[in-house]
Amino acid sequence: METQNQMPPTSQPQVQQQPEKIHVHHSYIWLGSVRIAFYVIVASGISLASSLAGVISELSFGRSGEVFLIFGVLLLVLVLFVGALGISALVRWWSYKHLYYELTPEEFSLHSGIFNKQRIHVPYQRVQSVDQRATLFQRIFGVCTVSIDTAGGSNNKAITIPYVSKTQAEQLRYELFARKQYVMTGSGAQASVASFQVPAQEYAAPSPAQYAPGAPAQTQQSGNILDAPAEIWQSVGGVFGGMGADIAPVSYEYGMSNKELILTGLSNNTTFVVIVFGIIGVVTQLFELMDGLFSPASGSWEDAAFDAAFAAPPQFLVVFAFAFVAIMLVIWVLSAVGSCISYGGFKARRRGNRIEVEYGLLQHQFQGVDVDRVQSVVIKQSFIRKIFGYCEVSLGKIDAATADDDTNKGTLAQQGLIIHPFVKVSRVPEILAGIIPEFAGVPTEITPVAPVALRRALIRRGIIQGSGFWLAVVVALCMGAVEMFIAPKAPYDPDLALFMTFADPACIIGFALAFTLFVLDLIGAVLWAKSSGFAFNRSFMQVSNGGFSREVVSFPRKKIQFGYTKTNPFQRSAHTATITAVTAAGVGGTHVKLVDAREEDAQAWLTWVQPQRNMVG
Amino acid sequence: MKPLPLNQLDPRIKSVWRLNDAISATLLFVCCAIGFVIAGLVDPDPSWEWVVVGIMTLIYVLTMILCVVVLPPIRYMRWRYEVSEDYLDIARGIVWRKRFVIPFIRVQNTDTRQGPILRLFGLSSVTVATAAGEHEIPGLRSEEAEQLRDRAAELARLAQEDV
Repeated sequence: METQNQMPPTSQPQVQQQPEKIHVHHSYIWLGSVRIAFYVIVASGISLASSLAGVISELSFGRSGEVFLIFGVLLLVLVLFVGALGISALVRWWSYKHLYYELTPEEFSLHSGIFNKQRIHVPYQRVQSVDQRATLFQRIFGVCTVSIDTAGGSNNKAITIPYVSKTQAEQLRYELFARKQYVMTGSGAQASVASFQVPAQEYAAPSPAQYAPGAPAQTQQSGNILDAPAEIWQSVGGVFGGMGADIAPVSYEYGMSNKELILTGLSNNTTFVVIVFGIIGVVTQLFELMDGLFSPASGSWEDAAFDAAFAAPPQFLVVFAFAFVAIMLVIWVLSAVGSCISYGGFKARRRGNRIEVEYGLLQHQFQGVDVDRVQSVVIKQSFIRKIFGYCEVSLGKIDAATADDDTNKGTLAQQGLIIHPFVKVSRVPEILAGIIPEFAGVPTEITPVAPVALRRALIRRGIIQGSGFWLAVVVALCMGAVEMFIAPKAPYDPDLALFMTFADPACIIGFALAFTLFVLDLIGAVLWAKSSGFAFNRSFMQVSNGGFSREVVSFPRKKIQFGYTKTNPFQRSAHTATITAVTAAGVGGTHVKLVDAREEDAQAWLTWVQPQRNMVG
Repeated sequence: MKPLPLNQLDPRIKSVWRLNDAISATLLFVCCAIGFVIAGLVDPDPSWEWVVVGIMTLIYVLTMILCVVVLPPIRYMRWRYEVSEDYLDIARGIVWRKRFVIPFIRVQNTDTRQGPILRLFGLSSVTVATAAGEHEIPGLRSEEAEQLRDRAAELARLAQEDV
């Protein structure tokens, strides 16, 4: 394992030699089969449980023959388990035999499949990033899943190599990039490629002192409590992990401070939901109170039925609301701890012209992207984070649809490459200047949306797309239907009367919810109109969309695939237009949109999108 | 407002649109209505089935009038394109009017396509694909389409591979 891919890329690629077949780590066999066996056991356990329980319940203890039977059953289960393990191990072993990769002079090729042979070839110059991720068990044993991203159009797929030991993965990464560089620059890169042939013993001590003394790493001395366990993970590297390998100098690196890490957890989206439900609860109470004030003594059959059903209806609602809030709080704490752990050991660094990010205490992720491939810089502020003046910074890149189905990526990896999950807005320029100085010329003078956009936003967000408005409509319709069809019969039918007692509070809650949402929609619309706009200068464009949350997207002009303006008749009479710039970020492109820019601004922008010969880029 | 792009599509595209829309509307209508027609024939006391079929026929006739008579000329009027030195300019849309600017240096591949209906009228469509979606110019005379494709491909060759 240590020596098998020490084959240097410079060893005369012209000479056709049989490339070495490199197999993945042997934990592919047993770790994989343990997992399969576990699934088999669970499945058979569920299907056998009822019959086993039946057998056991029929037994009366005391007679030796039946004790023997129990042992027999247990033995059978054991045999089943071992058998399942054995069979899956055999299958895994067989497919292990046929799973290997080769580094030929021109391309990387991955062979797999027992009966359906599959060969994937990747020319070195197409390799864009080599990412790693590891589940908890994989981390314990020091293996990881490597995925190789290629530059592709809209339907590119990442190539995944499962169960590669850490050392092998690191070496594969450097090997691929070295060969890519070699292919791209020809023999001129001989010297730089040669520098990748670091003898194995030099891997042994990856410390900052190892970096080239001429370029000292400019690291930020901010750490957090979870850095220590993450570093232990890193240094131990798991059972078969081997030692880490750091080669290219790091020019900028940062982690997260304690405060940032904890606040990341506390300020995630669940918090917002908890607050919204809190507001709804309060508004419901207010409506209840008003209801009580305005119709204190109607004395109708409704009140009688209501009183019969619940001695103290408000208390019932209060208890209900409190239970709900309590459940939400528990969920909130759990998700906070969860996101703390998933961002534990967060490190982002600039190495050469690549940006690398790693995070995750239990499920480890390593992602990298070439600076030339960064499509956009996205600064996101959710509502809570906006209040405290913090934001999340991520990079847009072309994402590949991963070929394997057991992706543990979750939601974290879906938002591009997060280079800082929680940072004070005032620190963002500093971080960007350190990690991606290429984006230094981003314009700052924002052209706001047209003044008429406020009115249009109120109508659009409050009514046409207004969740509150439409909820109120639905509730009103339901109420009308109940009044029309059920209320006339209610006095004669006790069941329906009981139903009516439920219908009223339901309507009140519904209207409270609708009212809250409506007000939030309107406030959001005002905030949006006040804080949205776009800017462009010679080589960059920036679009900011505000509201309760805020998103600022900046991207270079040469990453705009195409742009368009769109108007509907109302916009034409109001002299505004929607502008949309389309970049290739994400899977199949990202549309960055700003509604209701002034018509002349939109025109100027569209002219700017047109390539001009005398301009660079 | 910036002047609209110069070129219009080939006038025969109107007939292509008419034929296309008529075929798909008829197919949809047949699929939706056939169940009710059968039910109406089988049911010994048919009443509501024929009402449904009647409503469907009305919608179908209105759709046909819209698609065959009203929309194609307007659509044709609004659909314009222009191949300038280094970008493709498209303006289209009746209610939601869109104006696209597609720089050729971002174009990854271009091709011409010709379905049976287009072939019937001797037309071709040109598709220009970028890394984030593709654009189609639906109806051009075949030789014009070839020219446009070659031109777009030539300009696209200058594109940097830097997505």
